[in-house]
Amino acid sequence: MAVFIRRLEELDQVELFDCADEPLNNYLRKHAWSNQQKSSIGVSYVATDEASPRTVLGYFTLATASMPRDALPRGFVRGLPPYQVPLILLARLAVDRRFSGKGLGRALLSEASKISLTVADFVGCRGIVADVYRERMEWYFRYGFRAIEKDAAGGPQRMFLDIRTVRMALRS
Amino acid sequence: MALNTRQARRPPQPGRGMRKSKFQADLAPAEDRMVRGLKQELELNSNTDFLSDALALLHWAVMERRRGNRIFSESGTGERKELVLPRLERVAPELALPHVEIAWSQRELESLAAMISGEPEKPTEALIRAMRS
Repeated sequence: MAVFIRRLEELDQVELFDCADEPLNNYLRKHAWSNQQKSSIGVSYVATDEASPRTVLGYFTLATASMPRDALPRGFVRGLPPYQVPLILLARLAVDRRFSGKGLGRALLSEASKISLTVADFVGCRGIVADVYRERMEWYFRYGFRAIEKDAAGGPQRMFLDIRTVRMALRS
Repeated sequence: MALNTRQARRPPQPGRGMRKSKFQADLAPAEDRMVRGLKQELELNSNTDFLSDALALLHWAVMERRRGNRIFSESGTGERKELVLPRLERVAPELALPHVEIAWSQRELESLAAMISGEPEKPTEALIRAMRS
């Protein structure tokens, strides 16, 4: 199986995509294209097989975001430059369950990280932030993501991967 | 096969101070056969000529995608196929991502600020392997 990862296109077949999570399925089927093309809210990248180039096997969605430095107490801003801190938001990452266990998730995360490095080179980016289901956190820990502390337990966990760590990995 | 360009061994030409660089690549047997086949088909005598043509083609493709142009082949019957390479997509201007506002809690901001202002963690083996793929 030769897998390609590219931007989502209008004619891609998304209807049969099933990652066993309805919100993630629905996003790809109903919102990903319009969010990318019309609303410019997020850009989705899809993994496809050379043999069936329109069938989506997995996807992730990226947007840029930032951390407002002004909202931090004085003790926390030491060492940070006086600007908003630019980030990449890895908003979603999902693999069709028929193709799980074949390394597609790793390939998608790798591509998202490489895109983040490119964005960092062009316009600046300090790290990748992901909203992660709690039962999937272990998978993200494996790639060096760290949990961002939050006030209340429950719900998705926000996680962070430093772009400098990604760059080190690329050069290792 | 090691694809090896040997221009560096040529004597320097008068008036040209620029050093030529040497390029060596280890190719899998299938890639080796592909290189030999293409050289024969294109009547290229040396690896240097082959690399030069390949470089010119890749450079053209990168420049086209950088301008936002898409690259297609068209058959005699009008059927079109788009050239899509992940590496080329990274230079495309559409890479510019939209900006979204994240609703941060104070605790999240503090936690993230501590991570950002500290030294970066060393990459995990899994991340290193992923970035090599």
